[in-house]
Amino acid sequence: MGASFMAELLKLYKRPAVWVIAAIWLVFVVLLAYALPYALFANLPQPEPSEDVPAEMQSEMQAQNEAASEQLMSQLYPENLVAYVLSNISGTGGTLALILGALVVGSEYGWGTLKTVLSQRPGRLVAFFAKMLALGAALVLFVLLAFVVGGICSLVVAGVQSATVDWPSLVELLEGLGAGAVILAVWAALGVFLATLFRSTTLAIGLGLFYALALEGLIFGLPIQNESFQDARRFFLGQNSGFLADSFAGSSLQQPLVPPGPDIGAAQSALVLCLYLAAFVLIAALAFRQRDVA
Amino acid sequence: MISETSQTDGRDNVLLVETSGLTKHYGRRITAVDDLDLGVRRGEVYGFLGPNGAGKTTTLRMLLGLIKPSSGTATVLGEEPGTPAGLARIGALVESPAFYPYLSGRDNLRVMARYSGVAPSRVEEVLQQVELSGRASDKFKKYSLGMKQRLGVAAALLKDPELLILDEPANGLDPKGMADMRAIIRGVRGEGKTVLLSSHLLGEVEQICDRIGVILRGKLVVERTMEELRGREEGLLVRAEPLEEAARVARDLPEVEEAQMADGMLRITADPARAAEINAGLVNAGVRVSELRPVERSLEEMFLELTGGETV
Repeated sequence: MGASFMAELLKLYKRPAVWVIAAIWLVFVVLLAYALPYALFANLPQPEPSEDVPAEMQSEMQAQNEAASEQLMSQLYPENLVAYVLSNISGTGGTLALILGALVVGSEYGWGTLKTVLSQRPGRLVAFFAKMLALGAALVLFVLLAFVVGGICSLVVAGVQSATVDWPSLVELLEGLGAGAVILAVWAALGVFLATLFRSTTLAIGLGLFYALALEGLIFGLPIQNESFQDARRFFLGQNSGFLADSFAGSSLQQPLVPPGPDIGAAQSALVLCLYLAAFVLIAALAFRQRDVA
Repeated sequence: MISETSQTDGRDNVLLVETSGLTKHYGRRITAVDDLDLGVRRGEVYGFLGPNGAGKTTTLRMLLGLIKPSSGTATVLGEEPGTPAGLARIGALVESPAFYPYLSGRDNLRVMARYSGVAPSRVEEVLQQVELSGRASDKFKKYSLGMKQRLGVAAALLKDPELLILDEPANGLDPKGMADMRAIIRGVRGEGKTVLLSSHLLGEVEQICDRIGVILRGKLVVERTMEELRGREEGLLVRAEPLEEAARVARDLPEVEEAQMADGMLRITADPARAAEINAGLVNAGVRVSELRPVERSLEEMFLELTGGETV
């Protein structure tokens, strides 16, 4: 297993697509998760009070506006690092992990390299789980990258805003890293599962993105308050990714336009995600082991 | 368990590859390999011939455990196909060489060396063996077909295998490359190793194989040594002067059944083992004999006869 794992690591390390995905992830964290929101929150339009509003009320309204801006801005501060980074991991990070998972397995079918690998020494399950371990190692690095870069960005924002710098506790950081790794792993496993099932990269990415963006993103994004509809969210992969990320968030990070979901705690959402992860990996492993390599 | 055959033809009679009733169906309508009994002896170069779609590559894939047989059994080096213990002693190039396009030739071999548990130093050795060291740093996607083929053979040699399975190894190679490939195969055989070679280049097979098996529509139609195949037509070819006189004298010799002139030579129907007596009879009658050899049919002739003219 060790030798096969090292072979998989070498392949990942040398593969340009992996670095491209890492670069996209880095750019996303810096620009879309921090720079743009900062620019937006720092320049929120302040409504002009009409002249007939009494002066005391005008100053009260101004204070409320400033407090609202500060509350939004505080999401970007170091104290909210874990919750904020996790909210991004559960969205864009998951999508990128899905693509990475599909690439890692699907390309082997596309290039026909599976026959070359399996004609060497490793058994099929050893080769498969070595691949999963290497993918897992890459995902842990992706999570670490997000937290390190997010931490630097939050420090810069706090500095520019002259805010006090309070870091999350070590325990919260470690829990956040673990939660991030689980979220990325389950999305990557979906990519692996689809790529193994269809023996293809493009179909796996296409179907995976359709599920993530169209099915879960659009349908559960609708502001439907029906109880059964909301309860159904507790069974879906993307929803549980969001629940797990949200479990780290205080009230300041709750988005007002998103309808309140079912009351799902971190443990329950993590359990659901782990079940998905196990199911995807085991079914893919079984298919990988049993099917002919054409 | 490696079995032994009862044959004793000078070569080792231990079977390294043995299949019994090996069959592969795809759905209900397609039978790619049909009840195949194949035996490859230790130390020989075995040529596996057949027209396109005859089932050669399917058979080789089953021997490597890449695809599972529908029925029948196969043992390779005494192991079930596809087990790590067996694969550790087999080098294989199946169909077109497939490697990671974004990696260099050297890095591709490093990856394969890691999978195989082979020392990294072997990579440079096999690169030299297939004369690819000079281009080993180039990306695989930039390789010509011939270079890809060389890399495939290099990967097959990485483990210094006891059994080399090569599927069309000369594909895309220029004449020098083909000569190099023959030299590699002969070198491997010279080390006492076994080669199972599938090829559509009959000339190549004829030059390097000890035995051949011909597969047709999934069935093995013949499995013989090259000598056995060539020896099936009894006769001698004689270059002599004057040719008409040689034909007349030959017809009178008791060892000769028939003598005919063709293409400037005399074709004699006789037991090749009586060549010395026939030569002496011709010379004693004053005929100058400059060449006398057994009639050998080309592998192509034999192949066409066996396969009824189906394309290789």
